Amino acid sequence: MARIIVITSGKGGVGKTTSSGSFASGLALRGHKTAVIDFDVGLRNLDLIMGCERRVVYDLVNVIHGEATLNQALIKDKNCENLFVLPASQTRDKDALTEEGVEQVLQGLIEMGFEYIVCDSPAGIEKGALMALTFADEAIVVTNPEISSVRDSDRILGIIQAKSKRAKEGGEPVKEHLLVTRYSPKRAEDGEMLPYQDVQEILRIPLLGVIPESDDVLTASNQGVPVIHMQDSDVSEAYKDVISRFLGKETPLRFTTYEKPGFFKRLLGGK
Amino acid sequence: MLTVTAVLHSTDIGGLEVALSEAAGPEKDFFENDFTVIDIGHLSEDAVIDWKQLLALFRSCRLNPVLVRNAPQHMQEQILSNGLALDEIAAQPRIPPQPAAEVPQEPQPAPAPVQAPPVEVPAAPAVFVDTPVRSGQQVYAKNADLIITAVVNPGAEVIADGSIHVYAPLKGRAAAGASGNTQARIFTMSMEAELVSIAGVYSTNEAFAATVEKGLPTQIRLDGNKIRIKPVNGAM
Repeated sequence: MARIIVITSGKGGVGKTTSSGSFASGLALRGHKTAVIDFDVGLRNLDLIMGCERRVVYDLVNVIHGEATLNQALIKDKNCENLFVLPASQTRDKDALTEEGVEQVLQGLIEMGFEYIVCDSPAGIEKGALMALTFADEAIVVTNPEISSVRDSDRILGIIQAKSKRAKEGGEPVKEHLLVTRYSPKRAEDGEMLPYQDVQEILRIPLLGVIPESDDVLTASNQGVPVIHMQDSDVSEAYKDVISRFLGKETPLRFTTYEKPGFFKRLLGGK
Repeated sequence: MLTVTAVLHSTDIGGLEVALSEAAGPEKDFFENDFTVIDIGHLSEDAVIDWKQLLALFRSCRLNPVLVRNAPQHMQEQILSNGLALDEIAAQPRIPPQPAAEVPQEPQPAPAPVQAPPVEVPAAPAVFVDTPVRSGQQVYAKNADLIITAVVNPGAEVIADGSIHVYAPLKGRAAAGASGNTQARIFTMSMEAELVSIAGVYSTNEAFAATVEKGLPTQIRLDGNKIRIKPVNGAM
């Protein structure tokens, strides 16, 4: 049974697209046939993160308007056998999305045998974000450890509870997950950043993972490779843990406690 | 708000005064101008009631008589002329007139004429909310109390015509007595509200933060036209 997962946050710049890219890649790396859809019509970014921007011919809006088939629009990922990217249109705006159109696209992907369909939501609570979350079975709420991000996440959780198809039709609600990103254990310990426990205390949804703040994220997106593919990177390891937890394997949190650098490390200039 | 029922067993004003002060105890403001139903069904048919004195007595004890129950036909005009309403639903068989000799002359100490105040208002069903009330969400309990067992987050608004109970932290805005009930109250397990309001009188976090300890179980009520925010503890 296919699962539709929306990656959302309310606030912009918290790491939705980075997380969408790595999450979808991680699922594909474990052998699951996965599609990732960019819902940010007009401000397309996922293609850059995935490194497929030079191969975009058709996009989500073309498919919705019947100008292209799903097969034509889906771009096969260069790093994973099982991953396909459906880019957003850059020349249109969010009004080009319709509920019927989005439903048809998702239905088409399910019929093509995709196990996971990851929807990369735009920021905000307007049409684009609504279209991304309407048909979701699960929601990953990406939150930075600071109050404005937490409040916006709270807002989007309320919207999921009110506006998603599952909420409107009754029955089992959308399964919610909290993903704390750009986390700095040292700053949390110094009181400059909300500890992830406080974020969870406010939002009160299960914690899927904590992704540490790292320069690797910028390096990876500039290279057009989802950060989960990076070797020897804490961020990559943290995303892999997220995949394990999402697939039901209990995995302890890593990279959430600050260890003071030892004498030698300081001497040798470790990071 | 509570409604108090006073069941009269005697027309003796002095005896009533003793009984009322016993019921209220040492607290001067035990009653809070609660609506009061006066039940005279236990008096004999020919009892004579000095309504002016009776009403003055009740009002001096901060009770607000509004309605008379089980009134015999011949008293009804007198009752209405004193500004009270008649309860026409409750019509119980009258006790036959008692022989004059048996009417007690002294104030009775034992059977208190005023019983413990039972709630007389047909209770409106409370509205229950068991999931977090999140930023941007609004919950309104019309003509009812609102009982929330999950967190009310910043940017959320909970409103009730009755009282509001939050058995979790209250971090958003809460407005009780929204259609003017000044007796409504707000309770929370952890006081972190942005704004609290009762019957339109409000206080913002900035105004009360200095005097209210954050995070305690707290009761909020209206006192005159001031919001009172006090921790709830076992002694209260």
